[in-house]
Amino acid sequence: MESAATVLISTCTYALLAAGIVILYKAGRVVNFAHGELAIVGGFVFYSTGLMSDNSLVLAILGAAVFSIVMGSIIYVTMMRRVVGEPFYVAILITIGIAIVLKSAIIVIWRAPRLTIDVGVTPAIRLPDGATLSYMDLASVLLTAAFFICLFLFFRFTRLGIQFRGTAENPLLASQRGVNVNFVLSLAWVIATLAATLSGVLYGGRAFLSTESASIGLAGLTAALVGGLDSLRGAVVGAFIVALAQYLTVRLIDPVLSEALPFLILLLVMSIRPWGLFGTVEELDRV
Amino acid sequence: MARAGYNLRTSYLESNEVLRRPYQKVLVLFVLFTALLLPAVSSNFFVHLLNLCFLAAIGALGLMILTGYCGQISLGHAGFLAIGAYTTAILTIHLKAPFIVVLPAAAICGVIAGFIVGLPSLRFRGVYLAISTLAMHYAIVFLATTYQSNFTRSASAGITIPDPSIGPFLLKGDITWYYFLLAFLTLVTIVCVNLMRTRPGRAWMAIRDRDIAAEALGINLARYKLLAFVMSSTLASISGSLMAYYSNVVTVEAFTLDLAIVYIAMIIVGGMGSILGALMGAAFITLLPYGIDTVFEFLPRSWRFGSSVFGVQVGAVGLFIILFLLFEPRGLAEIWRRIETYFERWPFRYRPLETVRR
Repeated sequence: MESAATVLISTCTYALLAAGIVILYKAGRVVNFAHGELAIVGGFVFYSTGLMSDNSLVLAILGAAVFSIVMGSIIYVTMMRRVVGEPFYVAILITIGIAIVLKSAIIVIWRAPRLTIDVGVTPAIRLPDGATLSYMDLASVLLTAAFFICLFLFFRFTRLGIQFRGTAENPLLASQRGVNVNFVLSLAWVIATLAATLSGVLYGGRAFLSTESASIGLAGLTAALVGGLDSLRGAVVGAFIVALAQYLTVRLIDPVLSEALPFLILLLVMSIRPWGLFGTVEELDRV
Repeated sequence: MARAGYNLRTSYLESNEVLRRPYQKVLVLFVLFTALLLPAVSSNFFVHLLNLCFLAAIGALGLMILTGYCGQISLGHAGFLAIGAYTTAILTIHLKAPFIVVLPAAAICGVIAGFIVGLPSLRFRGVYLAISTLAMHYAIVFLATTYQSNFTRSASAGITIPDPSIGPFLLKGDITWYYFLLAFLTLVTIVCVNLMRTRPGRAWMAIRDRDIAAEALGINLARYKLLAFVMSSTLASISGSLMAYYSNVVTVEAFTLDLAIVYIAMIIVGGMGSILGALMGAAFITLLPYGIDTVFEFLPRSWRFGSSVFGVQVGAVGLFIILFLLFEPRGLAEIWRRIETYFERWPFRYRPLETVRR
């Protein structure tokens, strides 16, 4: 029971990250290597606004939201929009550059090597066989579920969501039909950054935040690839697979291996089914 | 013989010329001459910095072949360096192998590693290939970590490597290393420049510019892509081996993903698809942290709190990647080309010929 809870909670972290990566890939065919860093910086912003404002949850949420919106739009408007039509590597390398700059921002601004947050560690629920879930764990699961439901409703039913899907399908046609492609794409960055921040906040609540923990971004990337880079449904399934595999390796084989594990899964998936579990085959840029 | 200008090449022989402008030959000789005399006048620390630049340049040339010329992006360059360093460690510690055996052995391990890491390039390109090289990087680092923790029994300590000797000469001290590395880098540069004039070099550029068209022209894509990976990882492996000898220590902490990104920064800042760019970028990025350190010396003391200098040093690499990609995508080499053109055309101010940007 406890193991199920652990896997479920890491699934939530990875699923949020993978969702952001999938949204960005669908929107602009960009693979975001800075997602882990965005998550960690978002987490730092959330907790330090919380600490500065006397543990006011509202202000912390507001701070994190403002951070996500500003950060997402800045990245799109100042960088990503300018490299449309350049070779594919330009966009990727820019996200890598962003990752490094964010990492150094953590070192310069927060200075603390790692930030451990003491929230809701007291067990909230006792499960039948003695396992416990903290409030933070509970919040992780509920917020992740809420996020995915909102995302689903947004893409399915709202006008903007439909415009979004149209842009993902074919940006040129969408813009000719009057969709404001720039707005939609910057919205994609904002949503993705929000997802990353949420995941960083949840991750920080039960582990710790530091420059090293940005490697969860790579686990999220693996989850997105396992599920298929262009499938939101796949992001959840992929996250579950990565979390489960990681848990099993730590418990059964070797904790050191769990660092390299996402990539071993990645190699496996890429040699067997490179478009992922739910991805579309045509999407794959093959030789 | 009448020439149609420096930029227009009208025959096969002309198109194969390396230093077309007369002053370029003078310049190259001048630079080499200065480099030979430099240790006599400069401080030991500066020579040490130049050694680091030379080591980085060998690795950067390797990455330039793969990414700049063949267009295959690799995030696994640190893994290739690690292959060289760990081959060196294993051979010198367990077999007491001499330098002249270890270096070729490292190169051969690099060939094998490049072949394996290059295999996914037969199926993927673009983003997927980049991610698969990233995965390979972690696989190599995992192997290295396992070896190191078995060897030293503690993960934090590195493996110590004795100073190498070539025959009776002991390679020790910054100045000895300086001349050795200078000669080695010159050799590698000449090899790379010439490689780009031969069939493989042209095939790589064709693959970079449009792989399907290259295949239609009769270029064996699989073969030349693998060859690019092999060349790149061989150079990186040699560079890693030399680094291990130079710093006398091999530790897995050195070969992080960040190191691979630093090498990518070198070729971006230097300029994609230019040997000169690889050299300039390697020097720029290697000296950058020391430059920032110097700038911080002049700033008020209160600015130097804690680890902020380190943070800025880390961030500057990322910042330069972004700035160069956005504003000067062809890098320092292009800036240099513009300066050349300016003086060539002086006093006229024609716009320099634009190279085609994809």
